[in-house]
Amino acid sequence: MATEEDSCPHGDVDRSAAMTDDVTTSSRVERILDTHREALQDGQLPMTVYNDEEIFETELHRIFGQCWMFIGHETEVPEPGDYAKRYIGKDPFIFIRGEDGQIRVLFDSCTHHGSQLCKAEQGNSSHFRCPYHGWTFKNTGDLAGIPLRDQAFEGLDPDEWGLHEAPRVENYKGLVFASIADEGPSLEEYLGDFKWYLDVHLDIAKGGMEVIGEPHRWRADSDWKSGSDNFSADSYHTGVAHRSVFEVGFGDEDISGTAGQETQRHVTHADSGSTSLRLLDPEEEIFFGYPEEYITDENLSDEQYEVAAACGAATGTIFPNLSFIHLAATNDPDKPLDGFFSLRQWQPVAPGEMEAWSWVLVPAEASEEYKQRAYDVALGTFSPSGNFEQDDFAVWDGIAEAAGTVFADKQDVQMNYQMGMPGIGKAEIDEDWDGPGTAWDDNLEEGTCRTFHGNWQKAMNGEEVGMRYPRDHI
Amino acid sequence: MTNQMTHQSELERHYECVSFYNREAELLDEKELEHWLELLTEDIRYDMPLRVTRDRGSDRSEFSEEGFNYREDRSTLEARVERFQSEFAWSEDPPTRTRHFVTNVRVADVDGDELSVKNNLLLFMAQGEEADGTTVSAERHDVLRRVDGELKLAERDIRLDHTVLPMKNISVFF
Repeated sequence: MATEEDSCPHGDVDRSAAMTDDVTTSSRVERILDTHREALQDGQLPMTVYNDEEIFETELHRIFGQCWMFIGHETEVPEPGDYAKRYIGKDPFIFIRGEDGQIRVLFDSCTHHGSQLCKAEQGNSSHFRCPYHGWTFKNTGDLAGIPLRDQAFEGLDPDEWGLHEAPRVENYKGLVFASIADEGPSLEEYLGDFKWYLDVHLDIAKGGMEVIGEPHRWRADSDWKSGSDNFSADSYHTGVAHRSVFEVGFGDEDISGTAGQETQRHVTHADSGSTSLRLLDPEEEIFFGYPEEYITDENLSDEQYEVAAACGAATGTIFPNLSFIHLAATNDPDKPLDGFFSLRQWQPVAPGEMEAWSWVLVPAEASEEYKQRAYDVALGTFSPSGNFEQDDFAVWDGIAEAAGTVFADKQDVQMNYQMGMPGIGKAEIDEDWDGPGTAWDDNLEEGTCRTFHGNWQKAMNGEEVGMRYPRDHI
Repeated sequence: MTNQMTHQSELERHYECVSFYNREAELLDEKELEHWLELLTEDIRYDMPLRVTRDRGSDRSEFSEEGFNYREDRSTLEARVERFQSEFAWSEDPPTRTRHFVTNVRVADVDGDELSVKNNLLLFMAQGEEADGTTVSAERHDVLRRVDGELKLAERDIRLDHTVLPMKNISVFF
């Protein structure tokens, strides 16, 4: 367990040097950020940050303009020319595999006068032609055609006018991320200790995981942080917010319902993320509900494999807005529980307004029948019509509404995130835990959420993301 | 005479379909979901594929073959209805006020006891104090089957006019 400050790879980084302060903030934003820092030390959170114009603009620059952002899964663009439209914050990009086989993240704007090139959400194309003046670009981003070039642009070097692209693009086990900042830690450094937990999900199935279908996309009057916060993870809400699904039988209360059972764990301060692991009796070998023939121990350590074997449900968030759920559940109370994996991204649209994106993933070597079954389970539980997810979105918009009030601003209203802090609740650090980060012996604690908000605070202050205990003891 | 019979029978069919949709819309809008289930056949297939913007020249349908917002059978629909009746189903607290406007009813094909029927749906939804409400537009491709003399819904393919859903969740039926 890495709890020593010395073990932090970014511990000695000069934070002012790491800062890319490309947006000036008002004294009001600085005051809110100061309040946020003090409040979080006491397990409180200024409500205003969930719906505030200036905070939102600052987030777009300092978080979405700096961090590693999830773009998509490589199985979404398997063939040369395959592409999908994606967004970094609110900025449009084309996630594309070029004819050279390389994946790129191209800015969706003609280098001539700036028009949008990509109209479709997904497709396959060798070229993109701008509808304005007709400049044409290959799927590698190279400028390939200029109408009336000899007269109009004689002397122009087309090599200098290929499409702009995200300066840094990296692939971690099929998950493609990009950063629009020139400088920063590598993706692996950024993910840090959380890689150990991500690996449990990405490597437990033979052949890894693959995406089925296109992502769900839907709009909500909720702040993007509500999704990140909930999945980061909030284990306390399941017994109330999701009570109806256990009454009807879409899930097993022992697996994904009642919090506070002694085998369940929260892992906080794992650099970029935190997670909830609903662990059961390891003898049961549940593996998130997957049939055993799809499971492999080849790519995991013994400790990681043991976590997967005992885990019936896990959620987590990688800062800032990529979350996941790995769950054994059912869309039909008359059918057994089966497993699926879902990646979800909470995209900022406006203060207090987000667009949710959700991808369903299944073991790549599962039978076609199982893949369809897993998709149905995901659809019936975590999707816009999901019997679980409907009720999460039903409660999050109330937070954004309250956060946007004059009252919350004037009265500096704080929300309570104190569960699991010294003197509040009973959660203790599990010193015997084998994985990195800080594990707690009880999921009735909110260090997971505080890990997310701690990273938010670092990013908003221009510092590098990465929560470590005890250095960032909140 | 034959032409007149055919004509009459088409009129009757049309009237019968419109009456079915009016009845169905009333049950849905009145939240009589248990009674709505009685309008469905035992082998009901109830789908809402994702819609995806494709290249204008693409030969692929905009309606996904792999991604869905609904892909239901009788058992999963019954389970959803049962959940909505729980006092802990927060997405329907307060209940969404819906109005199903069904128009442009077209009987596309008649095959024995089954009618293939296309129709347009404008679904208005408002919840709580929401002033504007949300409107969703779709075409429905249905199969209505005559069972014991009455029409029942055997298949529904809800073909949305949206790719990004304009609402926080889907907690109603289309």
